[in-house]
Amino acid sequence: MIYLNLIKEFFITGLFAFGGGYSTVPFLAHISDVYHWYSQSELTHMLAIAAITPGPVGINVATYAGVKTAGILGALCATFGEVLPAIIMVNLIAGVCAKYKENVYFKSIIYVLKPVSCALLTIPVISMIRDNVNNIFAAVILMCLLIYSFKSKKSPLFYFVISGMAGLIYTLCF
Amino acid sequence: MKLIEIYFEFFKIGAILLGGGYVIFPILKSELVEKKNWITLDELTEYFALSQSLPGIIAVNTALFVGNKCRKFIGSIFALAGVITAPVIAIILIANILNLLVNSKSVQGILWGVSIGIVVLLINSVRDIWKTSIIDKFTFLIFIAVVVLDLKFSKISPAHIVIAALIIGIIRGYFVSRSLKREAKEEAENDLS
Repeated sequence: MIYLNLIKEFFITGLFAFGGGYSTVPFLAHISDVYHWYSQSELTHMLAIAAITPGPVGINVATYAGVKTAGILGALCATFGEVLPAIIMVNLIAGVCAKYKENVYFKSIIYVLKPVSCALLTIPVISMIRDNVNNIFAAVILMCLLIYSFKSKKSPLFYFVISGMAGLIYTLCF
Repeated sequence: MKLIEIYFEFFKIGAILLGGGYVIFPILKSELVEKKNWITLDELTEYFALSQSLPGIIAVNTALFVGNKCRKFIGSIFALAGVITAPVIAIILIANILNLLVNSKSVQGILWGVSIGIVVLLINSVRDIWKTSIIDKFTFLIFIAVVVLDLKFSKISPAHIVIAALIIGIIRGYFVSRSLKREAKEEAENDLS
């Protein structure tokens, strides 16, 4: 049953993706490996669209994956699955939250989890570079944008406009 | 405050939120603390910090905390529904349009280019997390171990790695709390003598 699978997989994502933002990416890559609901290159497209549409990236990608897989109902299932763990956890924690922050166990878990989420995000980035940076032109664009991004913080839209135009020009000219 | 008010407030926040969870803090501050006075800045800072250390989406977690603060469980549901309405509708519309466009060669070129932009954002994201997470030899070792494990067994689920990390974190917490207790005890003994 595809709807139940969508809820289950995105529930797992919502429950175990620590660190916000792009921390769901390794989970989405794993879902693509196991279920083939979308390909790795579609995942990259989804991330691009998620980053330039309103709302948190995690919600956008869950909705997109759901709609791609099983239409509007699929979108609702995936999104519901992704936020369900948060609904449960936040309502349990709210009220007693102040005590948790100084807890030795809580701090220790965060200490171990942070490098883990950093490593988990590194893996799909490597495979995205392998899949998309497949010629000198792409490598040059990547290096230029990367160096620029280290020096000044611009909104995601800036990078998409530049790289999108570069991609268009390259495809039309070669 | 009325539930419908909570819904529309978070609907607005979801609609103007662009590009990742960290943007949400200044928006929430101006909307909820300064304009609406629903929560104090201290509470917001607390919720935001907590949302970052919980799994899931930071904006969603924060919305749930604020909703819970306003009207308990039902408030949290309305806040959540509000914050996800705009993105869900936007994506459903765009997904259908994109499916029609994706066969054109120029759209494929643009998407290929944009994927390079995504790689740039992701590398920056890794770099940001790295700065706050790889702080000593032990955390560096964890990073290397996870990368090696993941490359070696490509089908391993990230959920399993996170569960393993949770267990290691709890075990480490046990040793830290034991050594803290021992230190406290020694200090007390020194004070006595």
